[in-house]
Amino acid sequence: MDLQKINVKFFVEEPGAVSPEAFVLLFNAWIQAADGEYYDIADYAHVEAGPGILLIAHEANVAMDNTGNRWGLLYNRKQPLQGNNGEKLRRVLKAALENCRRIEEASSLEGKVRFRADEALVLINDRLSAPNSEATFKALKADLETAAHALYGNADFVLERESEDPRKRFSVRIKAAGRFNVAALLANLDKGTGNGNRRAAS
Amino acid sequence: MAQSLDWKEKLKSRMAPDLAREIDIFETQIELRKQGKLDERVFAETRLRRGVYGQRYDNGQRHDGQKVQKLKLPSGGLTKGPETVWDAPGMLRIKIPFGGLNPEQMEALADLSEEYSDAISHVTTRQDIQYHFVHIDDTPTLMRRLAAVGITTREACGNVVRNVTACPLAGVCRDETFDVTPYAIACSNFLLGHPDTQDFGRKFKVAFSGCKQHPCGLTTMHDMGAIAKTAVVDGQERRGFEFYVGGGLGAVPYKAQLFESFLPEEELLPLAQAISRVFARLGEKRNRARARVKFLIANLGIEEFRRLVLEERAKLEPDPRWRDYLSTVRQYRETPLKPAASLNGGERPRGFDAWHATNVYRQRQPGYAVATVTLPLGDITAGQLRGLADIARRFVKDTIRTTVEQNIVLRWVSEADLPALYEALRQIGLGEANAGTIVDVTACPGTDTCKLGIASSRGLAKELRSRLSEKSFELDAAVKDLRIKVSGCFNSCGQHHIADIGFYGINRNINGYAVPHFQVMLGGKFNDNAGAYGLAIGAVPSKRIPEVVLRVTDRYIKERKKSESFQDFVGRIGKKETKAMLEDLTQVPAHAVDASFYRDWGDPREFTLTDMGVGECAGEVVSQAQFTLAASERELFEAQVYFDAGDLRKAVMTAYAAMVQAAQALVKTQLYDVSNDEAIVLTEFRKRFCDTELFYDKYAGGKFADYLFKAKETLQQQNGMKQDGALRLLQEAQLFIDAAHSCYNKLSALRVASPAGGQAANQGEG
Repeated sequence: MDLQKINVKFFVEEPGAVSPEAFVLLFNAWIQAADGEYYDIADYAHVEAGPGILLIAHEANVAMDNTGNRWGLLYNRKQPLQGNNGEKLRRVLKAALENCRRIEEASSLEGKVRFRADEALVLINDRLSAPNSEATFKALKADLETAAHALYGNADFVLERESEDPRKRFSVRIKAAGRFNVAALLANLDKGTGNGNRRAAS
Repeated sequence: MAQSLDWKEKLKSRMAPDLAREIDIFETQIELRKQGKLDERVFAETRLRRGVYGQRYDNGQRHDGQKVQKLKLPSGGLTKGPETVWDAPGMLRIKIPFGGLNPEQMEALADLSEEYSDAISHVTTRQDIQYHFVHIDDTPTLMRRLAAVGITTREACGNVVRNVTACPLAGVCRDETFDVTPYAIACSNFLLGHPDTQDFGRKFKVAFSGCKQHPCGLTTMHDMGAIAKTAVVDGQERRGFEFYVGGGLGAVPYKAQLFESFLPEEELLPLAQAISRVFARLGEKRNRARARVKFLIANLGIEEFRRLVLEERAKLEPDPRWRDYLSTVRQYRETPLKPAASLNGGERPRGFDAWHATNVYRQRQPGYAVATVTLPLGDITAGQLRGLADIARRFVKDTIRTTVEQNIVLRWVSEADLPALYEALRQIGLGEANAGTIVDVTACPGTDTCKLGIASSRGLAKELRSRLSEKSFELDAAVKDLRIKVSGCFNSCGQHHIADIGFYGINRNINGYAVPHFQVMLGGKFNDNAGAYGLAIGAVPSKRIPEVVLRVTDRYIKERKKSESFQDFVGRIGKKETKAMLEDLTQVPAHAVDASFYRDWGDPREFTLTDMGVGECAGEVVSQAQFTLAASERELFEAQVYFDAGDLRKAVMTAYAAMVQAAQALVKTQLYDVSNDEAIVLTEFRKRFCDTELFYDKYAGGKFADYLFKAKETLQQQNGMKQDGALRLLQEAQLFIDAAHSCYNKLSALRVASPAGGQAANQGEG
């Protein structure tokens, strides 16, 4: 299975710490600093449990997303990636975390936004290549474990499908034991794979 | 491409063959455009007629609040229309005739919004659904997945018949004359892709209403509006329509004029066809601002327009489709999922009563109700839409419709189920009350995504919703029922003309700064099918519009006479006094004092008009001949594909068909209605272009025409085509089509040089 359209979401520690409008301002500042990489901002804070505030680009959208009534940073890779599935997952995880770090460090947010790094949601935005089924889970489990291992090093983690509803997109939650922060996860990804204990939920 | 083919394969058995073929053709046109083999104007109108619309910043630049940025779009110089860069995100408009949806379609819409858009389905003011931030390369796949659930995007945009709308209460309304739904369906099907609707100078909008007094159908603001009516003829009650033409909003609103006080049902489709032919023939094509049918009728006068239409009607060849559907019209029924039961004594969840007061309509069928799902700004998330599909399956099956107020209604809810329905809606964040009240503000996309947007209509609507929601419980009943509608510019997509309180975006330059403003319109009438248009009062800075609403409504509450409507109140106090009332709100503080006035709602950037682009509402005026020439190019491309695959027989037959199509394109410039019959096309082509030497190359003489006739002979010989012979025929086909283009261009240049002559030819044969 050639994974593409990989999405990754990291959840905020304290929902409501800043208003959604603060992200409109922040993303506008990112646009001003980016020289054409980002195309636009879409503000859907008025719908409940929706896509929140999106920063639209060609390669990937970045959003402060509230799907499922859980605010978090959603990195939505749109353009194809090269490499094997493990490499692609790593790249997307890293890109998502780099955006998380940028938000955490944004002076306009005064350090009020922190991400729960012990949990990541990996979602494949393509029902054709990755239907939400146990078969897909089995096919991707090894790749997801490798990615989770790269992310959490030696820590225990579990993989669980977020929903078994076949209408929804295939998504897997990676939950690690212990506390982590964004910087630590980025460091882990930069280090390469470790050899920690790991187990995956069936 | 690979993925698209996969979906194509996967959905092959679920798409109507015609629809599947159309989408294949569109995909080929995309490929041709990428190869530079399809003119950008022709491609622009082609994609518009497939619902693939442009979006703000698709010219490749955006003002970031400090400077204009050139967007990094990998497609380089490739365009999908004039000043429209290929990789720039666009909008896809999806036609939902009469707003009718079923749960399977809702699930498909939810899935597609997640995979190709921003996880939002936006309900428009004409019952369509729109996706934003869509890449054009994804559109064939989107179309296939929609086609698999019976939805088309065909003719959702462009100079064609747009979505046929109808009252969302049709069939269950307590006051309707009869259910207009089957007529709206028949009209939509009949006009979709009809040859007589392909050569308009502008779009054409059709609406149906079951009664005259309610607003749901908004027939009087449509190019063609039909209101259900019965008449006793020869002692028998017969169905028909009070039939209107020439309405429209836009910058210059026109109220539709009565064409026929009782149009018998069997005349509905032929008359629509005759009107289409007159509009195609006589409608303005060059001045886009005056190309809608309302201007044609204003110019001709309704009497002359009627005469021309009836004359055209008399000339039409009978079409069985005119009447075929009538045999089943009276059998058209929706079936409820649950038995009728009244809402008695059961436990009512918290918030239910307020929701019930504004969002529930008692059907004419006892024990059933219509529940309105309030969508803020017309937006619904993928999760909500999927959840709503589940709710529909649980309570009503497939009786769901979108509304022109950007909401969704569930019809045939057993009244006893209403509390459970409310609870289920609430759980997916759709339990908001206030449908159809002053809080339920309607807005077009405005500067959020529209190229023509001047001010942020959605930003303002969001602000007004928020402020009015907070005080909705304390609002006076007279105010609560008022409608607010906001457009981002004068083009009226937000329907500001027909609101009690309407606004449209404008710009004012103050001390060298651009300041977002809204023009205030008061006293429009949503009732009586959009019975009256509002009065422009004056321009107010965007940031002070909420105060306008407050001041106007407060004064109405205080000074209205008993039972005086808002329209009557505004009329009574007069424009001068109303303007004076708002005078202080027109002031703009200096930039140094309050810079917030120089930014729009929800947008942190300093306000500018730099981002406005060339709108695509008007489409591109592309003649049928140009479309047919483009189709011949596409067909030749397919011939090449067959050749490459080694299927020589199919390759030469397709190449020949492409040549015939190119010949037909030229004939269409003189004989609009030329048949598709090959023999007739060849005869007409020979008579009109070869014998006259119009199709004559300065150096090659009649050689290219000979290619066509020689190809026909080659095909007739059936002697087993060899590869080199097939290749030669394909090459000659290309030369013939190139020559057809040259001939068309030459004729167009002559028409420009002598417009009267050109127009006369068009009128004579049209």
